[in-house]
Parts: sequence; C-alpha cells; structure tokens
Amino acid sequence: MKKLLTSVLFVIIGLFAVDRLGGMIMWWINQHTHDVSGPKIKYLANDIHEDILLMGTSRCDLHYVPSIISDTLGLSVYNGGINASENIYSHYIILNHILAIHKPKVICLEVMDNDVMKQSDPFCATSFFAPYFGRNERADSVFLLAGSYWKYKISHLYRYNAKAVSNMAGLVINRHEGGENGYIPFPKPVRFPDSLQYRKTPHHVDSMKVEYMQRFINLCKENGIYLIFMVSPMYTTVDTNHYDVLKSIAKRNDIPFLDYHSKGLYHDHPEYFLDNDHLWDKGARKYSSVFAHDLKKLTQKK
Amino acid sequence: MLFNSIPFLLFFPTVCVLYFLIPATLVRTRNMLLLVASYYFYMNWEPAYALLLLTSTVLTYVAALGIGHFEEKRLKKTFLICSLLLNLAILFLFKYYNFLSSNIMMAMQSCGIGMQLPKFGLLLPVGISFYTFQALGYSIDVYRGVTKVERNFFTYALFVSFFPQLVAGPIERSNNLLPQFKQQHRFDYESFMAGARLMVWGYFMKLVLADRCALYVDAIFNNVDKQNGGSYLVASLLFPFQIYGDFAGYSLIAIGVARVLGFRLMENFHRPYFACSVGEFWSRWHISLSTWFKDYVYIPLGGNRVGRLRNYFNLLVTFVVSGIWHGANWTFLCWGTLHGILLCIEKALGISKKKYSGVKRFGHWLVTFFLVCFAWILFRANNISDAVTVMTGILTHLEPPKPEYANFIAIALALAILLTKECSEEFGWKIRIAESESWFLRHLYLIMMIAYIILFGVLGGDQFIYFQF
Repeated sequence: MKKLLTSVLFVIIGLFAVDRLGGMIMWWINQHTHDVSGPKIKYLANDIHEDILLMGTSRCDLHYVPSIISDTLGLSVYNGGINASENIYSHYIILNHILAIHKPKVICLEVMDNDVMKQSDPFCATSFFAPYFGRNERADSVFLLAGSYWKYKISHLYRYNAKAVSNMAGLVINRHEGGENGYIPFPKPVRFPDSLQYRKTPHHVDSMKVEYMQRFINLCKENGIYLIFMVSPMYTTVDTNHYDVLKSIAKRNDIPFLDYHSKGLYHDHPEYFLDNDHLWDKGARKYSSVFAHDLKKLTQKK
Repeated sequence: MLFNSIPFLLFFPTVCVLYFLIPATLVRTRNMLLLVASYYFYMNWEPAYALLLLTSTVLTYVAALGIGHFEEKRLKKTFLICSLLLNLAILFLFKYYNFLSSNIMMAMQSCGIGMQLPKFGLLLPVGISFYTFQALGYSIDVYRGVTKVERNFFTYALFVSFFPQLVAGPIERSNNLLPQFKQQHRFDYESFMAGARLMVWGYFMKLVLADRCALYVDAIFNNVDKQNGGSYLVASLLFPFQIYGDFAGYSLIAIGVARVLGFRLMENFHRPYFACSVGEFWSRWHISLSTWFKDYVYIPLGGNRVGRLRNYFNLLVTFVVSGIWHGANWTFLCWGTLHGILLCIEKALGISKKKYSGVKRFGHWLVTFFLVCFAWILFRANNISDAVTVMTGILTHLEPPKPEYANFIAIALALAILLTKECSEEFGWKIRIAESESWFLRHLYLIMMIAYIILFGVLGGDQFIYFQF
C-alpha cells in the first residue's frame, strides 16, 4: 500500500507540474499563433481600439468589409466575427473581455436563430475562449453555466484542448494573410448554391440565452455603446415572422434591427453566395456598401 | 455509464476502494459488491434494460442447472436448445425484428402485395449481443462438459454482468472468468499499476486517436452526396484506425479495470493491422468474438474436417453470421460476406498457411491492409447505396480532399505514437517505456500520457462504436 501511495502521489504532483508548465507553453503558442480564430480573439481581448465593432459568428466574419464601412462613416471599424462561435454565450464572453480594455462607440451584432433558440449543445463554442479563463469574472460565469468552470480551474492544459492542434499548426501556417481589420476575403467558390431553400421558423426559445442576450444589451447600455442588430443576406427564404423573438427583444430595448434576410436581399444573385448561409468576397463587398449606407443613416440619427 | 465520462472516473475509484476495503477472504461479499456495482453501471443507460440482462442471466442459469442435473443426453439437449432459443429470441426481437419485418414488407410490395407487419419502437439495449453471447457460451460449455455448473446464482450473475466487459466485451469464456470469482484477490501493486497503464493507453486510443478520426470520418460518411473522391479516400483510410482505436481502446480500458481489481480478461486485439492475410487479421481482431464463432459455430458446422467445398461453406456461414451479429443492416451482412469470401479465396490459394518474409511479406501486408480497409467502407457506410457512392467516388472523382489541417496533424501524431508502440511490440524493438524496468520512466509515461490526453483528446464523452452491437 505504501508503494501505491508513493506512485499515486508522484503521478499527481508530476501531472500538476506538467499541467502548469504545459499551460504556460500553450499560452505562449496561443498568443503567437496565426490560425483562424486565435489571433482575432487575442486582438479583441488585448488590442481592440476601433470605434465600430462588428460581432457575430462566421456570418459576421465573412460578410463585413471594414474598409468599406470605414470609408462611408469616417470611423475606424473592426470585424470581430469569430467563425463557429455559435451563439450569444460566445458574444457575451468576448464582449466582457473587450470592455475591460476599450469601449467602442458602436457595436453591430449579427444575430441569428442560435442566439435565442434552443440547441442540443449550446455551449460547444465557449471552449474557444477557455485560454482567457480567469481573466474576467463575468466572462467566466458562462463557463460555470456550461459546466466547464472547474475543469478549467483544475487543469491549465485543458483550457487549450479545443484548439491545441490548430494553435500549434498556426505557428507554421499563416491563415491570416491578406486580412484587413479582422476580415479575410473568402475566394470564389467552385459551385454557387443552386436552390433557394426554405428555412423553417424555430419555436423553442431558450430562456437562458434570452437572459444572456439581455445581459449583453445591458452591458452595452451601461457603457454607453450604441448597439445595432442585423441579419445579413442568406440564400434561403423564411416566413415574415422568422425573427420575431429577436425583433421583440430589440424593440423592448430600443435597438435598431436591420433585417436583410427576410427582405430577400440578393435572392436574385446566387453568384454572391458561397453556400446558403454565407456570402463570398464579391457578395460581402456589395453587401457591406448597402450596410454601411444604412448604418450611416442610423448613426447620424443618433 | 461510459468509460470516458466523469461519472465513471468517480464510480471506478469508489468501487475499487470499497472492494479492497473488504477483506480478500470474504469472496462472496466482494462478489456481491461487484454485482451491485455492475447493475448500477448498466442501469445508468436505461434502468428497464437491466431486466433483460437479468432475464438472460436467469434463463441460462436455470438451463445450466437442468443440463447439469439430468444424465440423459436428450434432456440435456432440450435444456440447451431452450436456453439458445429463448436468448436468441430476445436478441432477435430487440435487434433484428424491425429490420426483418421492413425488408419483408418491401419485398412483398415489390411483388405487388401490400402487407403491414407490426413495428416495435424498442431501443437496442446496450451490449445485448455481448452478454447474450457470453451467457450462451456458458450454456454450451456446460452442455459439452467444458465447464462445471455454477450453482451460486450471484456468482453466475456476476459472470454475465461483470461491469468492465459487460457492454462491449471481451466476450469472456466461463472457464476463464468464473473460477476467478472464487479466488481471493489480494491487493497487488504490480497488477494495479499494470491495469492503470492499460487503462491510460486505452483512453489514448479512444480519445486521441478514434474520436479525432471520427470528427473527419463522420463528417464525410454522414454526408456522402456532398463530398469528392479524395475525401472518401481519406475517410476510408482513417476509419480503420477509428474503429481500431475505439474498440481496442475500450477493450484495453476494460482489461485494465479488471486487472486493477485483480482479474485477468482475455486479450481482444493483437496488432491486427500487421496481419499479412485476412485469415491472420481475424486471429488478431476482436479475438474474443472470432474465437467464439470458431468454437460455437464454425467447428460445430464441421470446421476444417470436411470436404473442401463444405469447408468453404462453413467459413462463409460463420462470417455471414458474424456480419449479422454486428447489426441489423445490409452493410454488416455484406461486410461479413466479403470477409468470408476473401477467406475462402485465401484458403483456395493456400495463402493463410504460408509464412512470408522480406518484400513478399510487405506485399502481402499491403494487399491485406487495403482489402480490410475496403471492407470497412461497407461496415461504416450508413447504407449500401452510400457504400457504393464512396467506392465509385474513390475510383472516379479523385480530387483533393476536404482539408482539415489541425485534425490531420493531431491524427498523424497519434498514429505515429501508436505505430511506434505497435512496431516495438511486433518486431521486438527495445524502446518500451510503459513496461520499462525503471520506476521513474514507467511513472513518467503515465504522467505524459494523461497530459497528452487532456491536451489532445476529444473529451466530449462520445459513444463507443461497438456499444450499438
């Protein structure tokens, strides 16, 4: 039994040491990687200083060209859309990190069904932000909700589990080349979407997501940030009431809601889309001009 | 309760501590603890299905008592047949009935006969094929006189439900496992640490190799109409390692868990992808099942001791049944049949008996590996039409695959580690760290492997593939 206790103790102490040392190495890698989302999250958490911040998932990441919006409004713009960040929980985490260093004048949040509707695994993308665990109490509250708080607290290595390989690969492969202020142009796809699909309106509202959406809004209000919701074009048709839940939240909080999807913008231009949900660079540039024009009108009114 | 879940990581140490707190001389008390723990473990999936496990246990227990009680061969046989029929009927109802009824209805409809057979909305109980086969093996062994009748019901119930191997094997033989439940297992440090090392390697194979491959393979095989030949090819080459990591990983964890408690389960995988013939592959892959089929299906059919054609027939039947054992789908049936045909061809050419070396060995290994990979396409595809799409796609639309660099790097690293370990064992290289004589190296191995799993493992708590069987 004495032998076993020695072994168990040695493994626990050794594991603790390797975990902490590995955590430090992985943090360095995370801060120097050029993978897809690592540099953007790092910029948002450490260096953001622009007047207008665009937030959302891949639909934000691929649809907004900062230089076009910046030229129209005469303000600095950063595209903070994070690919596969999934829903409001991710946006809430990143907003808290941003507010710790900077208060943008305007935040434009690209909203989608996932921000308020039920999903099978609503916290799947929160692990992207685990490397920043322990730096912001409000952001960490999401990890508590997701059930990963204690795992990240105990193991520093585990914080890099979701992105370890991608971060390491990003040391040798630069996937941010050709980017400008968070926007990386998506090249012309091999095939454009061939049919305008109908998308059903989801009906199961996730009350916890609505709660976090409200927290997101409150944070913007408290910090005097002008918040705008928008839904960029998709090559799908929806019912006119599709975004009613999001629209009612916007209305309740006096937030402008720019809905280009329900209107069917670019439904006559499938060549702007890379798939049913995303525009490629050509579509993004066309759309950014339209959006910039509308945003200018809104900011001037304000 | 999955091996790769937090509840199991709490459950197992608790069982372990309680087990060793009970004095080794109190064998029955320890067995009762393991029995309760095993049922608790199983009931974590669906409590109601523990009744099926109990039913199968009672049926085979009573049948064995009957076989042991009567001297007359005819009566013994009656008890055995009753046990076989009842157990296989349960298995058929839960696993095969809906498949068969829908195929009968389809066949009738194609003949212009409208027909409706009832369908049962039954979920497949986890591990039903494994424990049913283990229990049936016991009945047959008692009938053959290989094993003595176990009169203590609780000991027998533990044999059927022993939690390390309950849901996905190894399918144990009564003459190996049952006697171990009567032995006093004193705490043994070396056995404990060896078990822990097996568990860690099993977790590596499952979480780092299999689940990482699964991210790519599932994305391709679940959307076959949206992929190109290159993606099909990569997915088809990764799936063999996914299923190996998944199943061998589970088996190693099971063997490790049992070893920690002082039990020795049979080896289930012996570096299968080093096989130089399909026959050799089956002596290395899922050994507990292939030997089960050999002992209880192939040999009773006549085995090798018949004419050549009859021998081929026996082989084919055994592998068709083995295919069906894996699931109620035409893909499994075709996979089993293909393996049966390949074995018949090998027999006809005399390949399986020859020993090769050098370039010839390499050539045979390469051909075997690709044949096995090709057959796995049938196993993994969701249906025959998908399998055909994948096979023809590889041959006709070989374009660059869907790139997932980060995943590919992680898989390559895991494969390099696996290959180094397996090559060292296969070719006797002296680079063993896990089994090193140095105490420090053995412990360093444990620490580094756990850290590696934490960093690179897919820790989402996915199912093990073989649970569905």
